[in-house]
Amino acid sequence: MNEDKLIIETRQLCKNFGPTIALNHVDLKIYRGQITGLIGENGSGKSTITSILAGMQPASSGEMFFKGKPHKPSTMIEGAALGIGMIVQEQGYVSGISIAQNIFLGEEGRFRRHGIISRSAMVKAAQEALNNIGCNDIDASWYIEQIDLQDRKLVELARVMASNPEVLVVDETTTALSQRGRSIIYDIMRRMRDEDKAVIFISHDLDELMEVCDRMVVLRDGNLITDLDKPEFEPNLIKRHMVGRDMGEKYYREDYDGTVSDEVVLDVDNVTSGSGLLINFSMQVHKGEILGIGGLSHCGMHELGKVVFGEEKILTGSVTHVPSGQKIRDARHAIKLGMGYVSKDRDHEALVLSASIRDNISSAGLDKINDGPFILPNKEKAYVNQQVQTLSIKCASINQNVQYLSGGNKQKVVFGKWIGRDCDILILDCPTRGVDVGVKAAMYALIDDMKRQGKTIIMISEELAELIGMADRLLILKDGSLAGEFQRSRQLTEHEIIECMI
Amino acid sequence: MKKSWETIRNYFPIFGFVIVVVFFSIATKGAILSGTSLQSLLNQAIATALVSIGSVFVFGCGCFDMSMGGTLCMTAVLGGYAGIASGSIFVMALACLATALVLSLLKGLFAAYVEVPLFIVTIVLGFVLSALVLVIMGTETTILLNDAVKPIPSFNFTQMSAINIVALAGFFIVCVILFNFTALGRKVKILGGNPVTARQTGLNSVNIKLISFIISGVGVALAALVALLRIRSVGSTYGADMGTDVMIALVLGGMPLTGGPRTRISAGIIGALTITVLNSGLSMLGLDLAIIQIFRAVIYLAVVYVASMTYRTNLLPR
Repeated sequence: MNEDKLIIETRQLCKNFGPTIALNHVDLKIYRGQITGLIGENGSGKSTITSILAGMQPASSGEMFFKGKPHKPSTMIEGAALGIGMIVQEQGYVSGISIAQNIFLGEEGRFRRHGIISRSAMVKAAQEALNNIGCNDIDASWYIEQIDLQDRKLVELARVMASNPEVLVVDETTTALSQRGRSIIYDIMRRMRDEDKAVIFISHDLDELMEVCDRMVVLRDGNLITDLDKPEFEPNLIKRHMVGRDMGEKYYREDYDGTVSDEVVLDVDNVTSGSGLLINFSMQVHKGEILGIGGLSHCGMHELGKVVFGEEKILTGSVTHVPSGQKIRDARHAIKLGMGYVSKDRDHEALVLSASIRDNISSAGLDKINDGPFILPNKEKAYVNQQVQTLSIKCASINQNVQYLSGGNKQKVVFGKWIGRDCDILILDCPTRGVDVGVKAAMYALIDDMKRQGKTIIMISEELAELIGMADRLLILKDGSLAGEFQRSRQLTEHEIIECMI
Repeated sequence: MKKSWETIRNYFPIFGFVIVVVFFSIATKGAILSGTSLQSLLNQAIATALVSIGSVFVFGCGCFDMSMGGTLCMTAVLGGYAGIASGSIFVMALACLATALVLSLLKGLFAAYVEVPLFIVTIVLGFVLSALVLVIMGTETTILLNDAVKPIPSFNFTQMSAINIVALAGFFIVCVILFNFTALGRKVKILGGNPVTARQTGLNSVNIKLISFIISGVGVALAALVALLRIRSVGSTYGADMGTDVMIALVLGGMPLTGGPRTRISAGIIGALTITVLNSGLSMLGLDLAIIQIFRAVIYLAVVYVASMTYRTNLLPR
C-alpha cells in the first residue's frame, strides 16, 4: 500500500482491563481511500482499539499517529474534532430530546442568534444532514423515541457525518439495521472511500465484510493476526484466522427435514397488538419446531415475539398455550408455562448490566435452586457454573459484572438464563445479533440440540441466511400481517424471500 | 487491578466509619468515647440502624422512600397512646407494629400500582404524617408512658442494653438471611437494577415491593418500640431527621440509593453507626444545629458523588 495514504497508525498499542489483556502490542495501519474491515471473535479487541482511536478511553501503553502526528485524544469530542467519527455498537443517542438536538448535541452554539438557540435553524440543518445520508423520511423535529431503533442508528450516522469526518468508524452497527439501513450505511462508506477518506468497519458478518471492504484485519485475543487485501479474501481462511483452528463446514443445521410433530403448542389467534404493529395475525407453532420469523423493519415481527410472551398488550385475539389450554396473560404466566424470551434489546431488557453473571443467570431460575424457602449459595453456584460451562462464557469469575463482557458473552448469559430453566418454548428475537461466528455456530448447535429434545423455538431474525439455515418453517411478515410461508428446503433462496418481504 | 479496586471499594464504608470515629475522638479529645457518651451513641444508633436495615430492601428494589421520619414518629406516637391507654407493653408493641405495617403497606401499594414517582408521594406523605401527629396530639407536645393507666415496667441500663441488642441483632440476622439466603434478595437486586429485565424474567414486582415495605415496617416498629421503652415518652417532632439520616446511612454504608445489584444489608448497620457518630460528634464540638445540617449535606453530596463517579467510569465498552 502507498504509505502516503497512511492516515492512522498504532505502534505497540496495549490495553489492559485488570488482568484481562484486551490489546497486546498491536501495530495497525489504516489508509485513505480504503474501507478496512476489522474482524475477530467477541473480546478480540476490535471495539477496544477503535474506541481508543476515537478518544473514548485511553490506551495502557503504546503510541498512535493520526495524519503523521502523535494522536492521544482524551475524549470522544476531541477525537471527533480531529476528524474521527464513530458510530457505536450500543445506544449512542440521548433520550427525551428531538432528533435535531441529538444530531447537534454539544454544538448548539452554532445556532445561537442574539443569545437564543434558533430551533428552526437547527431542525433545518439536521434535516439537511439526514437528507445527505438518504434518510429523507425521518423528520428532524420529532423526538428520538418516535422512531425505531434502526432509524435511531441512522440518526447517529447523520450526526457523525454532519461533522464531516476524515475517518469513519462503524462499530457493529449493521446488526441493528435491516436491508434499507444497511444499504444507506454502505453507500456512505463507499462515498467516503471515493472522497479519499478512510473507513474502519467492524462487523461479525463475514459475507458483509467481504463484499464491502477493500482490506481486512483479523484480530484474535487482542493480537493482530493478519492483514488481507481483497484478492486474498477467502471465508474459510478468515474464519481459521479468527478462531485459530479449522472451523469445518458445519454452521447451520445440516438436515433439510422440515417435518415436525402435529402437536400444536402455541396458538396465536387473530391478534392485534397494542402498538398496532401486528394486525389480525394468526399462527400455530408445533412441538419440536424451529419457526423462523422474518420481514423488514416495522413489519411487526419483534412485536410478535413480545405478544407471544405476554410482554405486549393485545387489543383483540388471544395467545393460547395449547398443552395447558391457558391463555397467556403476561410474561410471568408465560414463564410458568415453560416459556422463555430473549429480547432483541439485550442491554436494556434482557440483562441487569450492573449485576454479576451469577445474579443474572440465577434470576430466571430461582425456583430451580431453592431448598424450601432458602437459596443455598453452593447450589446456586453449581447451577450458574453449569450454564457458564455449557455455553463457554468467557469470564474471570461468575461474580464478574456483565457490563464488562463482550457482546457475544453477554448474549450467552441471556441464553444461560433460559437454558438453565430448561424451557419448552423459547422465543429468540435476533439471538445472534452482534455475535461472532464462533459463538454463532455454538448457538446454532444449541438451538438444533434443543429441537432434537422436542423443544419449540421461535426464531425472529433480520438475517435471512440464518432463518433459511435453521428454520423448519419460515413466516414472513409485512405490515403486521402474514405475507408468506416457506417450508424448509435445500432449494429455498434469499431471493424468493426478499420478493415476498417487499 | 479492577478486582482489587472492587475489594477495596467493599471496605470503603468500614474505612469511613473508622475515619469518622478517629477524627471525632481526636477533635473531642476522647470525650466521644467516654462511658455516657458511648451509651447515648449506641441508643441513637439502634433506632437509625433498625430503620436503615429495613430500608435496604425498599431502596434496594428502586423505591425512593423519603417518609421514614414521619412514619417513625406516627408509629411511636400511636404506640405510646396505646401503651398509656392499656398499661401493657404487649399492646404498645402491637400498636407500633400495626401502625408501621399499615403505613408501609400503603407506601408499598403506591409504589406497586400508582404511576407517580414514589419520592414525591413519600415527601407528601411525610408532611401529612407530621401534620396528623400534631392533630392527634392536640395541645400536648410530649406524651409520657408514666401517665399510663397501669404502670408500664421500666428497665435499667443493663436491661435496656439487652433489649436493644436482641432487637437489633435479631432483626439484622433475619434480614441477612432474607436478603442473602432466600430468593427475595436476588429479586430485590434485579428489580432495582432493571425493572424491564425483572418483568421479562417473570419476577412479580408487586410482591417484591410489598414484602420490602413490610420488612421496612417491622424495622420502624422495632425502632419506635425500643425508643418508647428507653425514653418513656415521645414528642411530636420525634424522628424528624430520620428520613435524611437513613438515606445518608445507606450511602455511607456503601449502597446506591437507586438500589440494584450493589444493595447490601450491611449498609444499613455500618451506615447507621457512621451517621450517628457524625451527628453526635458534630454536636459535641459545640456546633450550632444549623451548621451541623450544612455539614451533613456536604458529606452526603460528597459520598454520593464519589459513589456515582466509580460506576460511571466503569461503563466503558470493550
